[in-house]
Amino acid sequence: MKRLTLTTAVALALPAFAQAAEITVVREVDSNNYDPHRAVARAAAEVLFMLGDTLVSLNPDMQTIEPGVAESWDVSDDGLTYTFNLRDDVYFCDGKQMTAEDVAYSITRWVDPETKSPVAWRAGDVESVTAVNEFTVEYKLSEPFSELLYQLTQSFGTIIDSANVEALGEDFGVSGFNGSGPFCWVEWTPRDKMIIERHEAYSWGAPFHTNTGPASMEKITWQVVPEENTRTVALLTGQSEITQYVPDIALAQLRDAPTVEVVRSDLAFWTYFMGFKIDKATVSDPAVRQAINLAVDQTAMAEDLFFGEVEPAYSYVSQGALDWNTALDDTLLTYDPDEANRILDEAGWELGSDGVRSKDGVRLEPIAYVFAGSTWGKISESVQAYLREIGVAMDIQAFDATVAWGRLATQEFDMFGMSFPYVSSGDALNLYFRSENMPTPNRMNWNDAQTDELLQAGKTALDDATRAESYGAVLEIVHDAAVWLPLYHEPMVVAQSADLETVVPHNIYGAGLYKGLDLKFKE
Amino acid sequence: MSIAEPVDLDALAPSLPWWRRLVRDPAAFLALIVLTIIVLCAIFAPLISPHDPYASSRAVMQPPVWSDRGAWLHPFGTDGQGRDILSRIFYGTRLTLLIGLVSVGLGGVLGSLLGLLAAFRPRLDPWVMRLVDVMLSFPAILLGLALVAVFGPGAIPVMIALAIATVPDCARIARSIAVSVMKQEYIEAGRAVGLSDLALFTRYLLRNCISSILIFISLRFGQIILIGAALSFLGLGAKPPQAELGMMAAQGRDFLLFAPHIAVIPSVMIFVIVLAANVLGDALRDVLDPRLRS
Repeated sequence: MKRLTLTTAVALALPAFAQAAEITVVREVDSNNYDPHRAVARAAAEVLFMLGDTLVSLNPDMQTIEPGVAESWDVSDDGLTYTFNLRDDVYFCDGKQMTAEDVAYSITRWVDPETKSPVAWRAGDVESVTAVNEFTVEYKLSEPFSELLYQLTQSFGTIIDSANVEALGEDFGVSGFNGSGPFCWVEWTPRDKMIIERHEAYSWGAPFHTNTGPASMEKITWQVVPEENTRTVALLTGQSEITQYVPDIALAQLRDAPTVEVVRSDLAFWTYFMGFKIDKATVSDPAVRQAINLAVDQTAMAEDLFFGEVEPAYSYVSQGALDWNTALDDTLLTYDPDEANRILDEAGWELGSDGVRSKDGVRLEPIAYVFAGSTWGKISESVQAYLREIGVAMDIQAFDATVAWGRLATQEFDMFGMSFPYVSSGDALNLYFRSENMPTPNRMNWNDAQTDELLQAGKTALDDATRAESYGAVLEIVHDAAVWLPLYHEPMVVAQSADLETVVPHNIYGAGLYKGLDLKFKE
Repeated sequence: MSIAEPVDLDALAPSLPWWRRLVRDPAAFLALIVLTIIVLCAIFAPLISPHDPYASSRAVMQPPVWSDRGAWLHPFGTDGQGRDILSRIFYGTRLTLLIGLVSVGLGGVLGSLLGLLAAFRPRLDPWVMRLVDVMLSFPAILLGLALVAVFGPGAIPVMIALAIATVPDCARIARSIAVSVMKQEYIEAGRAVGLSDLALFTRYLLRNCISSILIFISLRFGQIILIGAALSFLGLGAKPPQAELGMMAAQGRDFLLFAPHIAVIPSVMIFVIVLAANVLGDALRDVLDPRLRS
């Protein structure tokens, strides 16, 4: 009996010595579901990358396409047919082998109008996706799509299991998900936590990972903590091991904390901007839009509101993004309030006694729709204060995220605040500046035949030079017209426990931990 | 006056006018002074504010003067946008008090009239009180949310919501007091001597209920300021760049660990206003309620 007690005591004490390979990741919000074709939130992507795999993967350099479940691929000369050769050692969490049929099913479901995927366009104009044999997939397009491989690296292109989708029906991605990623779905409590466990059979990680599988972590808990100070404290007190959702204000303190390490990557393509609805009387005059661009001091905003943790933006996409037009570098509108006032004076916008400019009965009081919350609260108030200096009285209307998207689809506002992730210039431009995307996401009502033509040329380009040239021309057109007021590029900042090996943040869709394969406790 | 003749102050008290008795209570006197100063600051905000409350500057998150790095340029420091907190407190108090006064005033008058009417005219009682019950079933915050959804954010929808939220409580209190007053002999006596309904209502009923209603309203004023601040905290009340105490507290929340003064100063201001209003309300009751006079 005595021996038994002793053994039990030792057994109980053991886990305290050996570090359990379990971590908690705190984050700001949850997704509404985890169906890769219906969920567009970053919160969904960051879990889906861990639960599933994509045909191809994106290197952390955000430029190079590397193998995923497809070990190689060929593109036909006309850019219409992609042939993917799949690995023959990929298994779903339930033990079923992944075949070409699963890939064909996944892409077909993605673009099926019945799925009503808001991101179906990202798969290109699919003619058919068929399984040629057990491990070969033929992906046929009706017109070339130069972005295709980049789009296929995103979580929307996650390969899913048809049996699982049919068994769960509407609950697919809500009550369960059978993927082939390094982690498997255990339990999801909406708006609280998502628990995932290691996929023991996993061995097919992309070559750029230090560990291609199985993952070092046995269990990851994604815990929703909406309040940013609480997340900071959770990290400092060891209740959470890693998060990318730390407030900028806390980063300096976290860098000094011996238990925490802060890792930053500037290759993150996530840009904050305010757009102008260019057919509204208040902002239809390009002089007004230009003046507003000149009136705002993005550098001061980045330093004062975000403590220098973000990059001030003068361009609509990061200047490090694929196909950025370097010829525009010297023409970007930077802070010059005197010039802004001069432009407005010259354009006939007269300053009234109340400090607001007007012309032909139109007062410069643009209504700006933004998301409620501290980030857009401080951005919009700062912009408002800058615009006051040039006689523009911006009226801020903040809406909770649950109603904001609906409001932003209307024609009731003059300006709007938005932020978005992208993999390349083309990705961003095709999303926001195509006339067919009015009224949303082309909320500017930017309706320009030349833009449409160039975007189409870029999209269907068969070589890099043509694509870069077309997108570069679009960038020039929209920057000249001052359709947006760019504010800042948000870098990827991950704060992690010093007990973990230093992670290399990935920037795809803002999901910093990507597949979680590199998460590992120090020896 | 010799030393041998002690003056019994309490014995004199009932004969003094109510405001003299009020200021003899040290707590009430202090509350009155504090509230007067706050109200004066609010009224004269444009004259006494050291800075433009809406102008941001690069001097963000400056600490208040009592901190080591503080300076008299910004006695209460600056907020996350580099705006002077003292100036914003003046303007914010103005809006906060305005929201509180207008909504309590509107709701209080309407609620009291409904309550008194229900007691005075028992035939109306079930109708009025069921209406009040219906109104009572809407929490003020929810009502505020609904009105803001319809009219958009701003001080006016919040005032309407808070006024509506004040009506039912006030009606119930007024009715419960009025019902007991209506049972008093002097009401019957009044009827017997042939007083008109109006005279009976104003001279007998209203005058005997008013002090209790006033104390309720003055206590309610504190609560309404709190709810109004809560609505602004949620982003429903004041619209930027307007300053409102609840909204200022909300904006300071993000800096709580690093520059606590941004949230704490407006919160303390709300606390002081609510406390002073409550103390003063209590003291008012003590001097106004005829039943406490003996």
